[in-house]
Amino acid sequence: MPVSVGPYGQAQPSCVDRVKMGFMMGFAVGMAAGAMFGTFSCLRIGMRGRELMGGVGKTMMQSGGTFGTFMAIGMGIRC
Amino acid sequence: MEEYAREPCPWRIVDDCGGAFTMGAIGGGIFQAVKGFRNSPAGMSHRLKGSMTAIRTRAPQLGGSFAVWGGLFSMIDCGLVKVRGKEDPWNSITSGAMTGAILAARNGPVAMVGSAAMGGILLALIEGAGILLTRFASAQFPTGPQFDEEPAPMAAPSAPFGDYRQYQ
Repeated sequence: MPVSVGPYGQAQPSCVDRVKMGFMMGFAVGMAAGAMFGTFSCLRIGMRGRELMGGVGKTMMQSGGTFGTFMAIGMGIRC
Repeated sequence: MEEYAREPCPWRIVDDCGGAFTMGAIGGGIFQAVKGFRNSPAGMSHRLKGSMTAIRTRAPQLGGSFAVWGGLFSMIDCGLVKVRGKEDPWNSITSGAMTGAILAARNGPVAMVGSAAMGGILLALIEGAGILLTRFASAQFPTGPQFDEEPAPMAAPSAPFGDYRQYQ
């Protein structure tokens, strides 16, 4: 519904905007979650130092991408 | 994001369940397509066939587990709304944790605690992001009527967000 008027009397953001927003939000959430869970799992398999940084970064990017994609789809199917 | 109000309570379960299934099926389709493509033997026809097979077998499964998560989540959410008589982010966080715990129930208490923590943390992150986004959005459009208080009980951003991990 790209041109409908929202409850606050202003045009609602278009579908693409919402999908983008969903992706960005999912990406942020996924990065945060990936930082937490990635740190635990990388420590558990015995990474330390620079290796640990790389491992955590990789997990963060991965989970950010996954989350972002799913969030974008979740936004997309509702407009 | 908060333009659409969430469904009123009993129907929210159906809504979330279906939404989660669709989300899981589409997302699973995308990811499995890539995975099947990469894991197949060389040759375009093999790769396409492998990709199709992966989508056919895995995407409905993923959609199903998303649907289970979403349905159970909003069922608990609705229960909490009824019991506590209010809707706030804590509802979502609690129901995320409980959903994680219930779905891991057959793996023993330790797995339940771990899974509950994971669900709770994830939902807390999502709720936090939703709150931040609302603040940002209301600051970004100053022409709209100013909210004199916290704008409504935060609807969960994308309500039916199922965890993408599988608990099986």
